Amino acid sequence: MASHDVRDVLNLPLDAGSRPAKKQKTNVPRPSLKGLAREVQNLGGDNPIAIVPELATFKKRRFGSRKPAARWELRPFRNSARSDQSLHLRHWRKQTEDQARAQDEKDGQNGDNVEKKPEELEDSGFAKFNVQVDIPQYSDDQYNSNLKSDDWTKEETDYLFELARDFDLRWPLIWDRYDYQPKLDEGMTNGEGADSTDPKTAVVPASKGRTLEDLKARYYEVAAKMMAVQKPVQYMTQAEFALHEVMANFNPVSETKRKMFAADALSRSRDEAQEEELLLVEVRRILARQEKLNQERRELYNRLDYPHTEQDINVFKSSTGLQTLLQNLMNVDKTKKRKSIMEANGANTPASAHPSAHPPNHPNSTPVSETRRESIAASSTGRRDSAAGERPERPAKKGAQPERKKLTEQEEQIYGVSHHDRLPSGPTFRYERINKILTTKSNAQHQRITNTLAELDIPSRLNMPTKAVVEEMEKLLNSIGVLLDMRKMNDKIEAEIRLEKAKKAEREKALAPPQPEDEAKAGESEETPTTNGEDKKGDAGVNGDAVDKTNSEAPATNGERNGDAAGESGQSANAESAENGAEDKGVQPESSNGHKRSASVLSASSDKSAKRQKK
Amino acid sequence: MSSQQPLPNTQQPLDVYGGDEVSALVLDAGYCHTRAGFAGEDVPKSVIPSFYGSIKSGDGEAATYREVFGDECLIPRADLEIKNYMSRSESVVEDWDAATKIWEHTLIKRLQPEKPTPPSKNGLNDPTEDGEGDVAMEDAEEQEKPLAENPLLMTEAPWNSGKAREKAIEIAMENWGCPAFWLSRTPVCAAFAAGKASALVIDVGGANTSVTAIHDGMILKRSIQKSPVGGLWLSQQIRSMWESNDPKIDIVPSFMVENKTPVDAGAPAQAKLRKFPFEIHQSFRAYEEERLLTEYKESVVEVWRGPGRYLNPGNEDLVRSQPGRVFEMPNGSNQMWREQRFRVSEGMWDETAALPTADSIAKGQTIPELIKAAINAVDVDLRPNLLGNIVVTGGTSLLNGFGDRLNNELMAMYPGMKIKLHAPGLTTERRFGAWIGGSILASLGTFHQMWISRKEYEENGAGIVEKRCK
Ligand SMILES: Nc1ncnc2c1ncn2[C@@H]1O[C@H](COP(=O)(O)OP(=O)(O)OP(=O)(O)O)[C@@H](O)[C@H]1O
Ligand SMILES: [Mg+2]
Repeated sequence: MASHDVRDVLNLPLDAGSRPAKKQKTNVPRPSLKGLAREVQNLGGDNPIAIVPELATFKKRRFGSRKPAARWELRPFRNSARSDQSLHLRHWRKQTEDQARAQDEKDGQNGDNVEKKPEELEDSGFAKFNVQVDIPQYSDDQYNSNLKSDDWTKEETDYLFELARDFDLRWPLIWDRYDYQPKLDEGMTNGEGADSTDPKTAVVPASKGRTLEDLKARYYEVAAKMMAVQKPVQYMTQAEFALHEVMANFNPVSETKRKMFAADALSRSRDEAQEEELLLVEVRRILARQEKLNQERRELYNRLDYPHTEQDINVFKSSTGLQTLLQNLMNVDKTKKRKSIMEANGANTPASAHPSAHPPNHPNSTPVSETRRESIAASSTGRRDSAAGERPERPAKKGAQPERKKLTEQEEQIYGVSHHDRLPSGPTFRYERINKILTTKSNAQHQRITNTLAELDIPSRLNMPTKAVVEEMEKLLNSIGVLLDMRKMNDKIEAEIRLEKAKKAEREKALAPPQPEDEAKAGESEETPTTNGEDKKGDAGVNGDAVDKTNSEAPATNGERNGDAAGESGQSANAESAENGAEDKGVQPESSNGHKRSASVLSASSDKSAKRQKK
Repeated sequence: MSSQQPLPNTQQPLDVYGGDEVSALVLDAGYCHTRAGFAGEDVPKSVIPSFYGSIKSGDGEAATYREVFGDECLIPRADLEIKNYMSRSESVVEDWDAATKIWEHTLIKRLQPEKPTPPSKNGLNDPTEDGEGDVAMEDAEEQEKPLAENPLLMTEAPWNSGKAREKAIEIAMENWGCPAFWLSRTPVCAAFAAGKASALVIDVGGANTSVTAIHDGMILKRSIQKSPVGGLWLSQQIRSMWESNDPKIDIVPSFMVENKTPVDAGAPAQAKLRKFPFEIHQSFRAYEEERLLTEYKESVVEVWRGPGRYLNPGNEDLVRSQPGRVFEMPNGSNQMWREQRFRVSEGMWDETAALPTADSIAKGQTIPELIKAAINAVDVDLRPNLLGNIVVTGGTSLLNGFGDRLNNELMAMYPGMKIKLHAPGLTTERRFGAWIGGSILASLGTFHQMWISRKEYEENGAGIVEKRCK
């Protein structure tokens, strides 16, 4: 039955769709089929039935990979981890090439030299997993000299170590199997080795004897001692020493206590357990909240970075200036507030760096701005402080932080922070301060000061006018001023005395006065110098002290040592001047001498500062 | 390890599971079943009842007995007595002769390929009427030991005696010629089967229930707890319950029923019983009854899941209001079981709920108490880990709801502790837990160094098993 017959039956138009089919037919040459195949093909009529072509490739591949089947053999092997090497188990292994060939040959020769087998047996690959713990060993002598204990006999110690070896130091097992019978009778215990685990006693009754801690304590004691015997403590490596320490310091009491606590924790009632659980949950919540709080705070700080003012602060120094500053701050505050409110409404301002960390409608917008205002004020004052400070190193950032770090005295020195009550306007050079002192003096005085300085070997112009040096210099100049004044005064008085003496001599000559009066006068004049000397001594002492203080405060790296030295020199100067005072008793013009002394003390200290300068 | 050079391909036995099979055999003997198979497989090839038949032939003094092994031999027949080679109270071997025979049956007859009879024995070479053949036969036996190729791993109850252990190695070495031998405790094996080296193993088997703590692959002897509350005890409970049931239920095992007609629930049975031309031994009947009881346990008995005890007020009423289960006896009588099916198993947990039977139990013998005692006998530091690794094994633990109840009891006993049960859902894994663990152990490459070799046995004697298999 051809396809047009089918069409005929189904009342289908005869030629519909037949044309393309025909075309195909012309294209594809019909394979010449026979028998049933042709009939099947014919069923398709003009539309040939798609028959999946027979692919030869699959078959081909199957044939292609046909190799002789792999040979497997039951191969004996040994295991080097065993204590006896006699056991040769056998496992199935693929034959290697040469073995296979050998096998073939053997097959060929048919059992000619079958027994060439036992060359080398392969070792089990698992042998390397055999590890052994290191249990310390001791000889009888060593035991007797080092390890004796009141509580432990040698036999029991041996027994313990044997168990430790048997169970690879697994303490729960050692304790579990620990069943030491003090030797009653050698044969008995040995014979009973097997019997000891008969049905009734196999379930070992809980021993009253040794606790796990006892066993550990003894073991560690012996182990630590043996370690020290083998290698004295001082030669141990770090790790060895640590191990030794751990073992030597094993504390069975605290361990027992810990276990008691653990047992208590295990036997908690349900309520207790629940309570604990609740507490734990609570703690976790608190911690989580803390975390959140910290996060928020950090974010706040990030945003509260100090607002920069580029203007000169001098503007704000007058009262009107302050007024404008206040106005400015208020404005800033307002805009900030608005911003945070806007944020609170969920609008993401580009300024907010972490919008996700700052959830919308968070009710802390007001406190935020408050802190802001505070910190702005704080930071601006901080700024003023620092700007006026000795070094313009801008601790402004620090000022913005609320918990402003309190600098210690030493740190203040290091950073050169100083506090002033009143400051001159504008920057000045330090050496100008020195110059000012000099220039304010009269020309003659100036000359004299310069002379004195030259005498002290100090250049009148400072090479390195650090703060400390300038201060010292100022002091020195002041002292020189005083010195010069004193000298002037002294000269004046001396001249007067000389005048008076001359007058007196004149008068004596004229009146021939009686002797005793003169003596009293001498006593008087003797008195004055002593008081004078004392005065000077006190002065010098004060000076030395001052030097001491200033020196120790000086920002030098070795300030302390210098201070000490200066203090010392001050003291010695003190003593010297006192000596001088005593020595020069009766000598009239020693007051100036004292002055000189104190000046030299000063110069000594300033010498040091000069040296520092050079450094 | 990594510093070592990689082994050549042919030499590399280190598969993922570290197995390296040496065609070892594993034998796990329990009171109810004896399981045997090849190491590395996941179920034992041969599981036979530990009960065996002893057939008497002859009378009086001259009577001889022949043992038959395996389920297919335990059929009603004349002079058949059913015995068990294990001890009912201890689950350890009692009758060593029978044990040797039954083990040979399962290990050699069932697991070893049929070997051609040696020429001296096959009768073809027999010299005609020589009469000397026997001697030659014995020689042949000397040469060829049946298990000369197979290392053997056997399991034993943790309380097994030293003598029994030595006997076991003797049989393996002397009778069967095993090249290597090992004895392992059932709980250790069960823990291995669960993939754990440290665990608290709760084995609810046939003759008894035991709780044992395992640390690093070894039992902690002080922790061993044992009680008779097992499958057979539960059977006793069921008998007692059936006895007091209204109407009283007669136990008619299947082999006695020739045909039956269906009857309504609670109605008396209408069945024709078989008549045997010989006397059925009481032990055979008991064995068959036990089978029926096991079926009942499997399909009806359930454990009250908790929380709390079943006898707590309200629970019984609750159960009564819920759908029950119908069980049809072999003789056709059937009944709906509701509260009773919970009641029979409650004695395992609550000694006050135990029905009066011949062997009543004390408080210390219930499962929760066993666990408590076992846990208390180990070091405190191990306890949390043990509670987090509880392995449930043994046939009776397959009771419905057993795991839930166990979990509830443990939670009540140790609140706040992390408790995790490992109770495989696959029934074979529970029934053959110990065997599977042994199979894993014996197929491990690292186990090769453990085996007691023949040479070691010959040098040290049977005592070596005590020294090595700790
Ligand atoms: N699905 C089940 N539900 C309840 N009990 C079952 C089930 N299957 C088996 N049993 C019971 O389990 C017991 C057999 O358990 P198992 O095979 O673990 O014992 P065993 O290992 O031979 O004995 P033992 O360990 O005491 O020496 C039998 O008493 C049987 O009635
Ligand atoms: Mg069992």
